[in-house]
Amino acid sequence: MSNFFYVAPEQLIKDRATFAQKGIARGRSILASVYDVGVVMVAENTSASLNKISEVYDRIAFAGVGKYNEFDRLREAGIRWADSTGFTYSRDDVDARALANYYAQHLGDMFSEGPKPLEVEILVAQLGNKFHQTKLYQIAYEGTISDEAHFAVLGGDAEAVKARYAALFSEPTSLDVTLRHAVSALGGPERAIPANELEVGVLEDRGARRTFVRLNVGAISEILGT
Amino acid sequence: MGLPLFSATQDPGPSFYQFSQAAGVAFPPDVAGAGEGLSAHATTVIAVRFGGGVVMVGDRQATGSYIASRDVRKIEAADQFTAIAISGTAARGMEFIRMAQLSFEHYEKMTNSTLSLEGKANYLSPIIQRNNLTSPLIVIPLLAGWDSSHQMGRIFEYDGAGGAYERHDFATIGSGSPFAESALRLGFRADLDMEAALELGALALYEAGDNDPSTGGPDFVRGLFPMMVVIDSGGYREITNDEVGERFRAISERRTSTGGVPGGTLR
Repeated sequence: MSNFFYVAPEQLIKDRATFAQKGIARGRSILASVYDVGVVMVAENTSASLNKISEVYDRIAFAGVGKYNEFDRLREAGIRWADSTGFTYSRDDVDARALANYYAQHLGDMFSEGPKPLEVEILVAQLGNKFHQTKLYQIAYEGTISDEAHFAVLGGDAEAVKARYAALFSEPTSLDVTLRHAVSALGGPERAIPANELEVGVLEDRGARRTFVRLNVGAISEILGT
Repeated sequence: MGLPLFSATQDPGPSFYQFSQAAGVAFPPDVAGAGEGLSAHATTVIAVRFGGGVVMVGDRQATGSYIASRDVRKIEAADQFTAIAISGTAARGMEFIRMAQLSFEHYEKMTNSTLSLEGKANYLSPIIQRNNLTSPLIVIPLLAGWDSSHQMGRIFEYDGAGGAYERHDFATIGSGSPFAESALRLGFRADLDMEAALELGALALYEAGDNDPSTGGPDFVRGLFPMMVVIDSGGYREITNDEVGERFRAISERRTSTGGVPGGTLR
């Protein structure tokens, strides 16, 4: 009788994982890739104001898939963390690895101890310089963190998109080619994603301290040739 | 610090100042003993409006009981279209500039939109108020910028309690203000162009440097000259030290030729 409410830990973890995966799978994927002089992040997003990609710091950007309210709160926390770290120490001391680790710990805590796991998957991208390396940190709903050298894909359809992009990617090339490949991998053979349903963020050195820019619809269609 | 997460009801929003208070970063606790004592703000910074924007001129001397430095920067870009100048306690002033720079950028990143110039001016009020009414380390700033929604240059000055007042002609801060102000009152016209505004600002600073012991005028020996800044539709830019030097050299030569007397005209 006393074990009436007993649930095996394996079962509990499995149920929580299934729950989170279902939530994440409802959203479209995001692809981030290194190109010859920068990092580009591409998301399918029909909204022009509810962003999935954001600037975090001078050389750091954030991307999230899944439940908007959940990953947007993480985005805000990341900006606050980066800005206060840079204010306390120096701008050069703000490193994406530390932020990615905090995200991983928080997602891990919520997965095992929270009322429900967060239904998000996030990416922290860093453009390298003499102090820091170019990095793509991918953090899953249960706190697993991985460090991708060239590209990362988040979201429900990640495996298929990743396979398609891997077939196109050999080594870092120009932004234009990288963006065309990314969009074709996200859409697949059946579907061409229109430029106004794409959100594109880029980290690239242009001589200014802040390296993040958003590409507007005009710039995206020009590159895609649509 | 760990990951700063807030519940919706406790969230400090896009204001970095509110966040820093909620999270306990930056800004030391209040000190007893407000406002008295350090009333001399040992500086002169001038802002003058012209048709296409604003120019600012600032001296570069840090003064205690002796001259501590001759090349400090009292004017800084707060963002691409805004400049902040400080007078008063250097330590608090520098922290104030960093806080302002960070806050405007923080707001941009949090909301994906830029704060209006008036929004920036009002944002700074409570920060100045809190500093000046709780500590003897007074800071009086001056804010000037290009307002891209109204397509004009605007100047905001502050009183000691943080009140922000828009000035449509010119504004000055620091101990050299009375001398600079006199020159500006005589020389200001509503139809100044950039060149005339720069010249008037330089003359006003020359007067302040001449009369106020805590304002550094042009230093021909070391080749150090006041800062001159223009903010217009192209954004914030600083005039090179060489160009500023030429301008002050010309003023100095005119004055030398008349034995130090302006001779009844602004020249």
